[in-house]
Amino acid sequence: MSRRSGVSPASWLGLGTHADEYRYGTDERFGVVAESRLPERWVKTTCGYCSVGCGMLIGVRGGAAVAVRGDPDHPVNCGRLCPKGLSEHQTIAAPGRLHQPLMRTERTQPLTPTTWDRALDRVAGGFRALMAEHGPDAVAILSTGQLVTEEFYALGKLARLGLGIRHYDGNTTLCMSSAVAGYKSSFGSDGPPGAYADLEQADCILLVGANIADNHPLLAPRVLANQAATVIVVDPRVTKTAMIADVHLAIRPRTDVVLINALMKVIVDEGLVDTDYVSAHTEGYPELVAHLATVDVAAAAAECGIAPELLHRAALAFGRAERGFVAWTMGVNHSVQGTATVTLLNDLCLITGNIGRPGAAPFSITGQCNAMGTREAGGSSSLPGYRRFDSADDRAELAGLWGVPVARIPTERGRAYPDIIDGILDGTIRGLWIIATNPPVSFPNRRRLEAALAQLDLLVVQDGFETPTTKQGDVVLPAAIWGEKTGTYTNSERRVSLVRRAVNPPGQARSDLDIFLTVAERLGMRDELFPGWHGPEDAFAEWARVSAGRLCDYSGITYQRIDEAGGVQWPCPAGAEQPEGGTARLYGDGRFGTPSGRAQLRCVSPQPLSEPPSEDFPLLLNTGRTVEHWHTRTKTGRVGILEEMAPAAWVEVSPPDARRLRLATGDRVRISSARGAVDDLAVRVTATVRQGEVFVPFHYDERCVNLLTVDEFDPISREPNYKQCAVRLARCE
Amino acid sequence: MTVVDQPVSFLPTRSTPAESPRPSRGPSTGPTTGPSTRPGIGTNGPALLPLDAGEQYRFSFEMGACIGCHSCEVACAEQNANPVGVNWRRVGEVEGGSFPEAQRFNLSMACNHCVEPTCLSGCPTNAYVKLENGIVAHHAEDCIGCQYCIWNCPYEVPAFNPQRRVVTKCDLCQPRLATGDKPACVDACPTHAITVEKVNIAQWRADHRQADAPGLPPSDITLSTTRIIVPESMPASTRSVVDERLEPADPHWPLIAVTLLTQLSLGTLVATVALHALAARPPGAAGAGAAAGAGALALAVSVLHLGRPAVAWKALRNLRRSWLSREVALFSAFSLATFAYAAASIVGGWSPRQLLGLGLVAIALGAAGTYASGRLYLVPARPVWNSGRTVVAFFATALVTGPLVAVPSAGPGTAGIRLLFGLATIGSLFQLGTIQHLVASIAARREREFALTARLLFGRFRLLFVVRVGATLATTAACMLASLSAARAGAGFLALVVLALAAAGELIGRYLFFVTVTPMTAARRFSGGTR
Repeated sequence: MSRRSGVSPASWLGLGTHADEYRYGTDERFGVVAESRLPERWVKTTCGYCSVGCGMLIGVRGGAAVAVRGDPDHPVNCGRLCPKGLSEHQTIAAPGRLHQPLMRTERTQPLTPTTWDRALDRVAGGFRALMAEHGPDAVAILSTGQLVTEEFYALGKLARLGLGIRHYDGNTTLCMSSAVAGYKSSFGSDGPPGAYADLEQADCILLVGANIADNHPLLAPRVLANQAATVIVVDPRVTKTAMIADVHLAIRPRTDVVLINALMKVIVDEGLVDTDYVSAHTEGYPELVAHLATVDVAAAAAECGIAPELLHRAALAFGRAERGFVAWTMGVNHSVQGTATVTLLNDLCLITGNIGRPGAAPFSITGQCNAMGTREAGGSSSLPGYRRFDSADDRAELAGLWGVPVARIPTERGRAYPDIIDGILDGTIRGLWIIATNPPVSFPNRRRLEAALAQLDLLVVQDGFETPTTKQGDVVLPAAIWGEKTGTYTNSERRVSLVRRAVNPPGQARSDLDIFLTVAERLGMRDELFPGWHGPEDAFAEWARVSAGRLCDYSGITYQRIDEAGGVQWPCPAGAEQPEGGTARLYGDGRFGTPSGRAQLRCVSPQPLSEPPSEDFPLLLNTGRTVEHWHTRTKTGRVGILEEMAPAAWVEVSPPDARRLRLATGDRVRISSARGAVDDLAVRVTATVRQGEVFVPFHYDERCVNLLTVDEFDPISREPNYKQCAVRLARCE
Repeated sequence: MTVVDQPVSFLPTRSTPAESPRPSRGPSTGPTTGPSTRPGIGTNGPALLPLDAGEQYRFSFEMGACIGCHSCEVACAEQNANPVGVNWRRVGEVEGGSFPEAQRFNLSMACNHCVEPTCLSGCPTNAYVKLENGIVAHHAEDCIGCQYCIWNCPYEVPAFNPQRRVVTKCDLCQPRLATGDKPACVDACPTHAITVEKVNIAQWRADHRQADAPGLPPSDITLSTTRIIVPESMPASTRSVVDERLEPADPHWPLIAVTLLTQLSLGTLVATVALHALAARPPGAAGAGAAAGAGALALAVSVLHLGRPAVAWKALRNLRRSWLSREVALFSAFSLATFAYAAASIVGGWSPRQLLGLGLVAIALGAAGTYASGRLYLVPARPVWNSGRTVVAFFATALVTGPLVAVPSAGPGTAGIRLLFGLATIGSLFQLGTIQHLVASIAARREREFALTARLLFGRFRLLFVVRVGATLATTAACMLASLSAARAGAGFLALVVLALAAAGELIGRYLFFVTVTPMTAARRFSGGTR
């Protein structure tokens, strides 16, 4: 919240103390608070940062968002919020919002304001012209996990049916695609099986590469409250989450496959396998046992860099648990073996029968507020409703629902995110529409990404804020952000929650849904694609109908039911007898989405690092996040209190490495890899990292760690391997 | 006062006793530790009970339960509409052990609502009050923005608000407590690590070990009431993580000017009155005039240090307790007396004996003012300042500079010259003594504040320190020689040169005094440095 600055002589003399600006008032619901934070009304919504999906209230006064509160009645967070959520109203009026469309004719010219008409003419006309001249491969879309599900559903239809886009993916490939691919591989479908309540009901919680205390703070209290559970954290760093663990397995980077195989080996050897469950509901157990026979637990512990007793203790705790819960995030997904590692975690739960019961599940904690929504409805990596591109039945069903010839439904997903970048560089793709994501900061090997963006004939960027990406755009479309539009988000536990428009977008900014509908109008396809649609509820109604009968069945969900229940967990079929809040857990009946109905046990062998430390680059770089910031800081970098707490990137260096390099906390270093360098990075000497490893947070455009990271991707999910590459440090003079 | 609190639970809190209690992060066991099971996210913390006689409210903080989310800080800023940089609650970090057993703990600290609050006792305007319920409250309207409370608080709790130009601080959300709600930070904490509870003051006086934790100053100074629940597993090596990158403290240029000018004024008056006594008649108006001028200038400059110069007079409100109030009062009186002495020296009409009496009165006031000025810096929260050496150094500054200003008034003959350079020699020798004492105590003391001051004084500011010592040595030698030779010819020029040397030494010395001090503080966090 900005304030008048006191520079007048009267203020300098200190005649007054601005007491009127610091008065307190009383809110009916929340008691005494600064008068400047007193709203006229509270608008119920859901947080727009991470996928925990905390219920919130936005306080509105005079058409402005002046406050936020956690919704005390929401089952996810019960009124609590993290620091980003607690200051989220400040994002709406933050500096750097886009107020009007911008355009340029040449890349060398500056972006200048234009009208929506001209901008959208250029978007629709430009993309059509490129596809007419160079074929349907010439245009691609990079979307996000930040829009509402209604918008994702509309964008999918617009992209696949309207524009006929083949290559459509999102930044969700940078975070959750390995979980998606792993679930599909093991269970035949995407869809996290568990629920947050499991964290309180489990008697063993295994968190793998998941620093929830920093990244999903409102899940940590559930772990802390469950004092009876053995909490095991697998992480190469002593993270805030590792510090609340009973057992911390500080494994060497990317030895997770080695570790999980060894855990399963101990469980098999100790006779802790749930043989009833395995024989009734899985396939591939004999192969898995044969595969594990080659595992030497002691050697595995040595390779992981942990004490064998700790490994045994963890394996026994999980194997003996009546309710074992596995949760993971980017430590697992951000790997060339991400998908395979996810299937191993699924194996671990399957052989111990830990799925489909309270307190027991393999659970991917999603990243963005609505990454789940785009997975369900977006039509990028799968067709809406988790339908498969390669299934004729699925395509026919969808074509029927949409009333279009089945030939118009694509038979394959097209290029994934990194392959779209490759396609730009090899000249196949000439037009790109980027929606609410910021690749220069978030994509690995930044220089190569920037070269790709510079090479495009037409780059359209749609965002709420000026970002390093909008600066590159030929057309920039100003979008409404959280708090300015209505729709639904799905959180990690499949809970569909409402987000509401509390204030109007600034200037000429429009909701993404409005933009998509208008583009369809330009294409002359609005009535065909979006018949009778006026707003998000129309989109939701159609999407709910399209999802009917699928795993992610929304057909019983309405906005009203969401409000009454505090969010509804799918599947929620219309007419089904189930709690108001929907279905807490998947696979309670032991039936999976595979052709046989059985879950598939997969065998995985570890792969070595492609870029281990070398003489030139002797340290292994790990990247991640800090609690104050969200993604590439386009929002949180503009919230004063968050930015003040973490204003710049730093590098964490172990005490032995610091001694060797003669570095102390606060010193400035250059960090370089084979791909680039970052200068003037503050050193933090800390024993929370292992000798030979360093850690840098990735949020920062200035001092961008993705100048260093390796552009290497999981062969199945196409997710980048952000977490391991070789670097060196040198003091900056 | 009663606070209604009905626990609302959406899920039952697990109360099954753990088979093996959490080994690493469980709270320490003892009569006053927290519950064995933590309340779930959907529950409120324990209800706040009404106070009995001899009790007050306080915060408690369970280090093992804090996940370092910083929600409390944001909630506090929102609750009080505080601008960026004005933090009434701060989460610091301490770290200990070695990989992979290393542990980092967060220390979320707001005001400790101390039993013996030094912010309150030092405040010259009585802007602070300890309420009946124990809350240390601060009234912005009474504050002049001198920020002396920030120096006095070992935890650096009071926060200067540059927009309001006054200090502001946590009041434990007193208005919320009064209406049955909990403070914003407590309500915001997702893990119930921060709570409000009551404490029996007499019992706490007798045993306040739980006010101490790594990363915090010793609680004895102010009898901090915040109860810290330290995890049993905390490594012995646990300490603040940011100490290594300590930045120099604020030089406080107005204070450098004020202290130097008042001391110069006193020294000049002492020299002038000494000449008066020596010659049994007033030595002309030059010395007295210079003393009066320097004193007046000091008073004028002093208000530049304040956030609210317009209400500087309020600084006289706490003569009973605050050395700052006393300093202001004594220097004001000193300034008036010096003016009277100077005026009487010029106008005449007073007998030499009466005038000498007036001069001695002025000296007494100036000496008392300088003593008060020195005492002002003797705060436990700044251990390097907290020594009689500081007072001695202030008087030494007076004596090494003032007599050199008075040289033009030395009169005919060598006695005056000898006297003045002699006085300056004594001052200079004393100053060398204080420097020696400072170096010796920094070498002898093991506390972080001394170690960090040493790092600044002998590291970053080494060159200035060497110049400071060199200037003082040269001043001593020059004054000694001039005093012994007592040459009349060229004495004025020599005095000017030596004065420049001495003034440079004292200016650098005073600058170093301010910038190399290490305040006690509650542990801070590493924040990645500057953009």
